[in-house]
Amino acid sequence: MSNVLRPYLAAVRSTLTAALTLENFSSQVVERHNKPEVETGTSKEVLLNPLTISRNENERVLIESSVNSIRLSIKIKQADEIERILCHKFTRFMMQRAESFIVLRRKPVQGYDISFLITNTHTETMLKHKIVDFIIQFMEEVDKEISEMKLSLNARARIVAESYLTAFNA
Amino acid sequence: MILLEPHNVIIQTTLSEKLIKPSSLDVQFVDYDGVRFHLTTPERKTSLLLSMHIRCWDELVRYGAMDVLKREYGALLAAQAEPEYNVSLEIDLEQVPADPGARDDFVMSIALFKRNALAAPFELAFKTQKELEASGAGRGELMQIHYRDEEAIYVQAAHDRVTVIFSTVFQEETDRIFGRVFLQEFVDARRSPSINAPQVLYSNRDPPLEIRDVPGLRNTEDIGYVTFVVSPRHFTNPERASATISHIQLFRDYLHYHIKCSKAYMHSRMRHRVTEFQKILNRAKTEVATVERKTASGRTMTSR
Amino acid sequence: MASAFRKIDIDAYDEDALQESELYEADARDPAQVLDEARQRQAAVRSSLAKSDVAGALSVILDNAPYGPNVDEAKVLTLQTLLTILNTTKATEITGVIKSLSQDSQDTLMKYLYKGMAMPGWGDISGSVLLGWHEKLTEVAGVGCIVRTMTDRRTV
Repeated sequence: MSNVLRPYLAAVRSTLTAALTLENFSSQVVERHNKPEVETGTSKEVLLNPLTISRNENERVLIESSVNSIRLSIKIKQADEIERILCHKFTRFMMQRAESFIVLRRKPVQGYDISFLITNTHTETMLKHKIVDFIIQFMEEVDKEISEMKLSLNARARIVAESYLTAFNA
Repeated sequence: MILLEPHNVIIQTTLSEKLIKPSSLDVQFVDYDGVRFHLTTPERKTSLLLSMHIRCWDELVRYGAMDVLKREYGALLAAQAEPEYNVSLEIDLEQVPADPGARDDFVMSIALFKRNALAAPFELAFKTQKELEASGAGRGELMQIHYRDEEAIYVQAAHDRVTVIFSTVFQEETDRIFGRVFLQEFVDARRSPSINAPQVLYSNRDPPLEIRDVPGLRNTEDIGYVTFVVSPRHFTNPERASATISHIQLFRDYLHYHIKCSKAYMHSRMRHRVTEFQKILNRAKTEVATVERKTASGRTMTSR
Repeated sequence: MASAFRKIDIDAYDEDALQESELYEADARDPAQVLDEARQRQAAVRSSLAKSDVAGALSVILDNAPYGPNVDEAKVLTLQTLLTILNTTKATEITGVIKSLSQDSQDTLMKYLYKGMAMPGWGDISGSVLLGWHEKLTEVAGVGCIVRTMTDRRTV
């Protein structure tokens, strides 16, 4: 892990650990409903203050918590048009497989690239610290993956261009 | 395979097969840019009819495609093309040279059918350039070849060069951005001293000066123009000229082929990465002990 | 007009409905007075900083910090003052300074750190400073401090 990224991830890790204190909670508004309160947002006494952790304007994490669920949204660094399209493709690819990534939300919260929704059921059936590990590892690797994809695209373009143009020498 | 081949592999393989063992056949197949082929044996097993349909045939004829094909194929060229097709070749398998080397050359020349038809405007431009060079100034006619629905090649000769402009459409956002990366590399790669290629220019959206007054050009984000400035050293030698033509024709297909390849690669990469993430998440799941529960009498309890 | 009654917001007449003001005890101070205090504190912080007394400056600014509605100006002023303190502190001193604070002050500091990171324009501070403080504060005060920031309705 690069040294620059470490405090950022450490802050996300501690905040997420703090937020993952969830319990089963039935809806107060609709009888026999049990919905993630952070998504319904109907009773404000069970919603907690949303917290933002940011490295700079283009890289931040929003953690919205409630009594039975938390929503974590990530904005991934996108320096240029290529990174933007690669990031969009990658997050879309993941979100289309949301059912196998139990904690992944199908749509990102507005202003962010990808969102996770963790409910009390998840913390009951999964190890909490491992969920945190997953999120942190995801954040670490997604940046790396996008820059590697960009590099490979550039390298390929260079080879393609050179071999086309050198063929004129023949 | 990085570079695309100018000849049609289906023609090549089918023809070689039939030369060894003639049989009756009727196949339809395609090549780049929506070119359609039809290969049949209408009368005898040893007499093949190869027909081709090209979208921009009328334009090619205007720029001398018939002359080029007559030169290449001579008597093979059918007087009347098969209906629905633009041009046909009649190949008598019994007349094909028996010597293996000459036979391969013959098969290859047939497989280059499409390339030869498309070569006409380029040859014409190279010839015009020679004439203009003698007179010292001036420009040739701007030849337009609409080889696809929305894309075209423009060829124009001047006294010291031949300009070839490709217009190409990127159908989606990703293609457009990838295409820009690739084309930028084309422009940059040419600067390296070891490469002795035509000058490459690239513009997005705005057409280059040479074709700015052509009517009906689209001015949208998804269109790109690539200009090759071919200098006489690329075509003074006839062999070199023919190599240049074969190569430059395929530029559009080459570019798009590699854009698609990159996308496929990205996709397989993402697939791999997502499985990795999946594994990490699976580590979080706790093992639920599934012990079979039984009642005192020995019956298994099941949940309804 | 028979259907007009359908548009009445009946929730407004529900006696059990929770009001924003019931979630926490309102600040007894008058907004103008709060702003005035914030200004005074800014001056006090400056003089403490001149004596390079970071711990003193922090406890002055974090004590009795403005909260609740209608005091946005005082909040911004306090945040700016706090950010100057954070920016001028040497990285090696941070842990010692945090340890000298009371628990309430530590909680308030945590609130301001998150507020600073949530600011859209950032102002004149880089994210790494806030993240550095956040890390040290979590080390000293623990995760409970973050939980209190999340649950305390008296947002700064």
